[in-house]
Amino acid sequence: MFHWLEKHPFFFSVGVFLVIAFAGLVEILPSFAQASRPVIGTKPYSILETTGRQIYIKNSCNACHSQLIRPFKSETDRYGHYSLSGEYAYDRPFLWGSKRTGPDLMRVGNYRTTDWHESHMKDPSGVVPGSVMPAYRWMYSNIADIPTAYAEQLTNAQFFSVPYNEPIPMKDGTTEVVKMANNVTDAHAMALAEAKEIAVDMKDQNVKDAVARGEIPEIVALIAYLNSLK
Amino acid sequence: MNKLYLWGIIITAIMLGATYYTIFLTKGGLNGDIVNMLAIAGAISLVIITVFVVIKYVRQMQSDTAQGQLADEQWDGIGEYLNDLPMGWAIAFLLTMIWGMWYFTIGYPVNAYSQIGEYNEDSAAHNAKFESKYADITGDRLIDMGKSVFLAECKVCHGLNADGIDGKAADLNVRMEANVVKFAIENGSNNHLLGSEMPMPDRNGLFNSNTGALITDAEIDVVSKYVANGMSGAGADVFVGTCAACHGEDGKGMEYVAPSVATFSPELVTNILNHGKKGSIGQMPAFDRLNAKQKEAVGAYVTDLSK
Repeated sequence: MFHWLEKHPFFFSVGVFLVIAFAGLVEILPSFAQASRPVIGTKPYSILETTGRQIYIKNSCNACHSQLIRPFKSETDRYGHYSLSGEYAYDRPFLWGSKRTGPDLMRVGNYRTTDWHESHMKDPSGVVPGSVMPAYRWMYSNIADIPTAYAEQLTNAQFFSVPYNEPIPMKDGTTEVVKMANNVTDAHAMALAEAKEIAVDMKDQNVKDAVARGEIPEIVALIAYLNSLK
Repeated sequence: MNKLYLWGIIITAIMLGATYYTIFLTKGGLNGDIVNMLAIAGAISLVIITVFVVIKYVRQMQSDTAQGQLADEQWDGIGEYLNDLPMGWAIAFLLTMIWGMWYFTIGYPVNAYSQIGEYNEDSAAHNAKFESKYADITGDRLIDMGKSVFLAECKVCHGLNADGIDGKAADLNVRMEANVVKFAIENGSNNHLLGSEMPMPDRNGLFNSNTGALITDAEIDVVSKYVANGMSGAGADVFVGTCAACHGEDGKGMEYVAPSVATFSPELVTNILNHGKKGSIGQMPAFDRLNAKQKEAVGAYVTDLSK
């Protein structure tokens, strides 16, 4: 075998490559797999948060806002703890972004609240003087697409084993369960229940009326998603 | 002529031709720029030197023969010269071994670079500098620091002038607006400020001891305006009868019972920054990431605003 390899340099090179590649896999893969596991406290997205995430993507929020805090003192002072790879475990696709025209949103749920998002999305420069962010007024009348979000949730649960309806360990030692519906009708009911909690803190009467009627405007879903970013 | 030199000249000519083509036959050319000329001169000399150095070594490989005294041993006809190890090579070899030992024992385990390690060092250095520079500041300097923190963290909701941007957040230039007082009386308050464990009851738990009955709409209106006016005007009797039991007759609050409704205090602001609060306008998040001195400074600034 070795004698034969010595006489065939091409196959010898292939063999060397395979041995080194194997060594590399053994070294790299375990720590890579360890780092990509969800960190304690990272939860899958609920139905309304998933809907909001789709709206976030649909409106290209990630073109101007990153979701990745780098380990620099100046960034952690402004945005909170630097990002860990395990925190993206349930992000498909992740929304790191590549440019910060606006601020990072990785942990925006920690320092902004529902009523602030409501007035900000309606008129950004009214809250932040000099802001170049456009207003997203249609989100207050457009109705969110719950069935598509439910389809995404279903895919995540079935193909990527995202642990819905299972206890998720939290930082304080307790566990939380993120529920997923069995069918689209239930999913809509669950989303509406979440939307009602958000609408309580909102002021726009049209949005409140819509939620009371059983419709979910896009802004409610988006705020649910932004509040979940922690 | 040696075939090698011929190849050398051909390759040199091609490279120089390509250089000439890219510089002089395209738009712009040298543009009379001394830096461009230097770069071209460098490129030309690099091409010529490289080609002829390569030729020299290839010729040496073709014609060189090994020299020296052969050792006695032979392995299948392969012999070995008794030449000494070149001194430079030996020194480099020894240094490499020493470096290797240092790297395995001290270099890698102790001095390895990591991004997070650098971040931790940065943060520690920054915090130490902050401590040494700002640990003892008081008075106007503390208020100035509070203002700068306010402009970085608080102004997105409370506005540049701390006026709450048309009711989108609390106006911090006054302790409480009438509608804020009214909301608290009607809905109660459960913000656990200043370690007070007892939540404030809603209007169904607030008796006016002057009349012996639950507080009425008219009384709520008048006492709200009284508090919003800085504890002056009509309504003092309602305040004494209903609110003073916990908030004190002057409205300055009681320790572990109720916060001051007459003035801000740094402790009150720090407490809100630590826990956030939910009131008539909406929810304010907690600002845990500010350090203790920064919270104190914001407290001093906000207290100063409503003086």
